[in-house]
Amino acid sequence: MRTYPVEIAGVRRELPVVKVGDDVAVALLNLLGDTELTEAVAREMARRLPEGAEVLVTPEVKAVPLAHALSVKTGLPYVVARKTAKPYMQNPVSREVVSITTGKPQLLVLDGADVGKIRGKKVVIVDDVVSTGSTLKGLRKLIESVGGEVIGVLAVFTEGSPRDDVIALGHLPLFKPEE
Amino acid sequence: MTTLETYPITVGNVTRHVPLVETLPGMRIPLVEFLGDPELVEEAARLLKERVPEEAELLFSLECSPVPLVHRLAQMTELPYVIARKRRRAYMEDPLIQEVPSLTLGASDTLWLDRRWAERIMNRKVALVMDVVSSGGTMKALDRLVQRAGGTVVGRLAVFQQGKREFNGEVTYLYEIPIL
Repeated sequence: MRTYPVEIAGVRRELPVVKVGDDVAVALLNLLGDTELTEAVAREMARRLPEGAEVLVTPEVKAVPLAHALSVKTGLPYVVARKTAKPYMQNPVSREVVSITTGKPQLLVLDGADVGKIRGKKVVIVDDVVSTGSTLKGLRKLIESVGGEVIGVLAVFTEGSPRDDVIALGHLPLFKPEE
Repeated sequence: MTTLETYPITVGNVTRHVPLVETLPGMRIPLVEFLGDPELVEEAARLLKERVPEEAELLFSLECSPVPLVHRLAQMTELPYVIARKRRRAYMEDPLIQEVPSLTLGASDTLWLDRRWAERIMNRKVALVMDVVSSGGTMKALDRLVQRAGGTVVGRLAVFQQGKREFNGEVTYLYEIPIL
């Protein structure tokens, strides 16, 4: 199996390089199941947290353990934007985005019960990998549509083209699939 | 918007007044939410830790609401954990696909377990972890995934049992919550 070595916040990992399309493969970061890496990343992100942040927002699901750990370290609450509307949600607010990792339109949904935690607040978005930024763009608009102000984005990695609108701990290249 | 009644739910030293939601006509359940509540997660993990079987080598759960709880429990027990996904991802290779036999909140689910993660379960003694168990259909699907991946279930843990369980397997839970 092809892997790509990374060092994140002092922790080394060999990320598997996996095909996600006809012409593209990515180094797969998986915080789910990796408590050591999650905690190390949260420690590092806490140091880089934009000043004035009042609430963290994360898309489900791979960054959820990270948002939890960062919330514990910073004392800030966190809200998870879900990918489906749940029957129990009260007045959910949603926005559709197209993700490159799935290639399909994807929904981002905030439970109405969480909207009050975002409205009028300075928000920091927390994610694992920001690639094309489609999820990020959708999430930003969703947060703004309910009256939150996005003051920063924290990610473990940017991927593909470097970008200056994200505070990232590292950068991942895109790969060609192996034959 | 309807005004929501609330219901008190207590885990150890933490009490939350959670909304009562109508899931089916005439049936209301207290809606416990671990996502976004580190304090509740911490207390539940602390209590659940005592119930993890000594022989367990790995924790197994599913996305999304149990994830912070499993993360914290994994830290406390120093066990690795694996999460089954509810959607197929482009990178999955030869995944195990498991239908969830019973319907919770009117939505049917399919669980996806990437081969790379299934391999971590093979030959391991596994404790299943959930936040809330109701009919037990999801627990049963997790059980089946472990068997199919070549692991052995040595414990099934939940913070809450809600209503009557139809799944026969033994489940260790901390508290019951009612269906009203």
